Amino acid sequence: MKTHFFTLLLLAPRFLNGAEVSVPVEKYTLSNGMRVILSQDKAVPVVSVYLMYGVGARSEEKGRTGFAHLFEHMMFQGSANAPKGVHFKTVESNGGNLNGSTHQDYTDYFEVLPSNKVAIGLWLESDRMRSLAITDENLTNQKEAVKQERRLSFDNQPYATAIVDHWPQLAFKNWQSSHSLIGSYEDLNAASVKDVSTFFKTYYAPNNAILVLSGDIDNVAVKKLIQAYFGDIPSQPQPKHPDLSEPPDAAPGSKVYKDALANVPGVVAGYPGPKRRSADYYALAMLDVLMTGGESSRFQLNLIKGKQSVVSYEANLGWPFGDASDYKDPNVYAMFLIHKPNFTGRQIADQAQEEFTKIQKEGVDMKELTRARTFLLASRLNSLQSSLTRAKLLAQYELFDGKPELINTELGFFTAVTPEQIQAVAKKYLTPEKRSVLEIVPAPKEAKK
Amino acid sequence: MRHFLVVLIAAAALSAQTLDRTKPPETQPLPAFKLPPVYETKLTNGLGIVLVEDPRFPLISVRLTFAAGSKFDPKDLPGLAESTAALLTEGTAKRTSRQLAEELASIGGALNGRSTGDTLVLAGGSLAEHSSKLVELVADVARNAAFPKDEVELRKQNRLQNLLQQQSEPAFLAEEKFAAVLYGSHPYSRIAPTAASLEKLDGSAVKAFRDARIVPNNGVLILLGKLPSRAATLKLIEANFGSWQRKEISDPPASAVPEAKRQVVLVNRPGSVQADIRAGQVAISRQSPEYLPLVVGTTILGGGASSRLFNNIREKKGYAYSVHSYVDARRESSALTAVTQVRNEVVEPAMKDLLGELETIGKERVSPEELTSVKNYMSGRFVMGLESQNGLIEQLNLVKSMALPNDYLETYTTRLRSVEPDQIERAAAKYISPGKAAIVVVGDAEKIGKSLEKFGKVEVVK
Repeated sequence: MKTHFFTLLLLAPRFLNGAEVSVPVEKYTLSNGMRVILSQDKAVPVVSVYLMYGVGARSEEKGRTGFAHLFEHMMFQGSANAPKGVHFKTVESNGGNLNGSTHQDYTDYFEVLPSNKVAIGLWLESDRMRSLAITDENLTNQKEAVKQERRLSFDNQPYATAIVDHWPQLAFKNWQSSHSLIGSYEDLNAASVKDVSTFFKTYYAPNNAILVLSGDIDNVAVKKLIQAYFGDIPSQPQPKHPDLSEPPDAAPGSKVYKDALANVPGVVAGYPGPKRRSADYYALAMLDVLMTGGESSRFQLNLIKGKQSVVSYEANLGWPFGDASDYKDPNVYAMFLIHKPNFTGRQIADQAQEEFTKIQKEGVDMKELTRARTFLLASRLNSLQSSLTRAKLLAQYELFDGKPELINTELGFFTAVTPEQIQAVAKKYLTPEKRSVLEIVPAPKEAKK
Repeated sequence: MRHFLVVLIAAAALSAQTLDRTKPPETQPLPAFKLPPVYETKLTNGLGIVLVEDPRFPLISVRLTFAAGSKFDPKDLPGLAESTAALLTEGTAKRTSRQLAEELASIGGALNGRSTGDTLVLAGGSLAEHSSKLVELVADVARNAAFPKDEVELRKQNRLQNLLQQQSEPAFLAEEKFAAVLYGSHPYSRIAPTAASLEKLDGSAVKAFRDARIVPNNGVLILLGKLPSRAATLKLIEANFGSWQRKEISDPPASAVPEAKRQVVLVNRPGSVQADIRAGQVAISRQSPEYLPLVVGTTILGGGASSRLFNNIREKKGYAYSVHSYVDARRESSALTAVTQVRNEVVEPAMKDLLGELETIGKERVSPEELTSVKNYMSGRFVMGLESQNGLIEQLNLVKSMALPNDYLETYTTRLRSVEPDQIERAAAKYISPGKAAIVVVGDAEKIGKSLEKFGKVEVVK
């Protein structure tokens, strides 16, 4: 049934795992296909205006690495009624905060504003969706800004080049996933105004976008505004999504990267992960909490403390580009461990593997799992305090699952995981023959130029 | 069906055809927002107590803050406050480090020690239903930390690796050197331990620091969130902290903050593909009445994406991805700082623009438009920061740590609105002296050394 202004009111009577928190969700679709999610919370006079587009670095084409991110920069270069500079200025002079970010499978833009200024955010977002100023001058300028960002955040930092340029090549075989998200200088230079226009028309249409308003809003009033600002932006043919599938018999990769900027060695290890929202996904995410969640996790107690080999670590489903909530398969469960120089990266990856092997053999006791569940509940409650985090989660559940209301029920799936399921996913996914390893070794000083 | 109708009517009232898109929409004034009431008291042993009922989420947050920051580190042991803070949660007379970690996780909790220039802070929280356990653990850690030998040893090793890692990051090298250059012999000059001080660190130094400064009459406990009743909360606090003995503390004599003067220091980082720049000078303490006008001026200069620095150095000239300025304010002083990272080839013009913009704030009156805009920006940010318990409790902690007036948060927006252009000009003229900004750059000396000579005698350090 295709109805204009069809409104689906999703009541969320179920509470987050017993905790008395429930995020309201009202979802509907404009006639041009733009999906809208409203989530009212009047505790603080703040509103997040959040737009997620269903395009990310994994949609890029060969010869155009880094393009999704370069395009994200172009979105701040002005539009018909809000020329260059006006976007930043308008948001900030109205007491707001803004940004955008490019991910593997989506790109997002937001304004967090005092709640009386919600129309300002809608005006700006609709104007650039309708009439982005794509000019040669803006493109040239933003190519330089992106190169400058690459120098700052990657080329001049320890570990970063290894992680953004080399790790994806080990973790994935399909070029869509294995190429650099920030892109090469060569490809950035090659991008043309025509590329930008085509990308804009293809992916930045209302039917490829999700608008979320979360915070201090009046649902009836903002619906009028949303219709007026976005309702007549024409839709475009639904964009094709790239084939992200990995070859079934892909062998894991391994590499030693000599890092002239690093002083302390580190190692990245990763295992191909399960399908999003499958039973294995929840089980592996819980296993990750047991391993790396907080001060009583196994990595903390057994590697940092017990073996005294690891100095610090990060891990996630989808690391380094995301976490379990923006994980979209195919993806990996990956970890980054910085360690003492009297161990090799390989030895450290093996020590992490031993922790997984222990779970395979001995399983998990209920007391430890209960702690992990509580840890996860508290983390979730903490993050839900922010209207921006709520907006992002709602958009992710809509984009990937078509069900924003999962924000209220998803935690239950994680906390329902049993010790047996955790043991089973450890056996199925976390075995040495499936593991890719990137050792990052500080280069000898004399090698520095 | 009801919603279907509502939206149709709404759409008729304000349609795409009647909307004027050429102008930003008119908006209504922000509804009044009141902070939750703050209850304050003191235990007989001198421990300050602040309670705030914030029932939005079933969580509680805690800060236990002492005037025990890194400025109290002995000269030969920089990093002692930081290590003491970190080791407080690594075992007590009653619980091992592991037991503490497990008990905290069981209540959905976390508790970590950190230090700033002025304070040592135990920061944490838990699910609201476990408030009594959380308070018990905070008290145990503050009063009974045992500093086990193996934990101290591990801390030394891991902090050393962590320090080596920090030293591979240009931003850390720049911050560390900038503090040293600005503050000279004042203890604010040190922001991290050294390899030598970590080598020397031992349990007895940590214990001595704790015994001297982590005492009830030197601290404030802040509890915020979905708390038990007032009476029950106070009873809980009394039961856990009431028997803690007051102890006289002796503060070292205050050190003088050096006068601002131009110094150019280049930290050589061979192979750097860009230059990490810090420029600025020491200014006023957090308590000074000139603080707010100075911050407003610094925000016009380099706060956010519509600031002068951003517009010039990033948007107009394309020298940098990031550029900003801020006042890092402490009890005794502050560092007015401008920061950017630029590619090697443009160090000289970028530095010239950076210093030029810096000095203009004290010379030319800000426009009414800029001022209104920055006031909106700052008050909006302030309200945004109150969305989470963490945001609110950090603000309260700041008020207590900096000994600001009790009504500081409540009156912040009003005071901000009343800042006048001449106050900004006066404050800026006083604290941004032309030609006196200190400059620290981290980068490849071979590639950028020459460009820096235009700004003063360059001292190159490793």
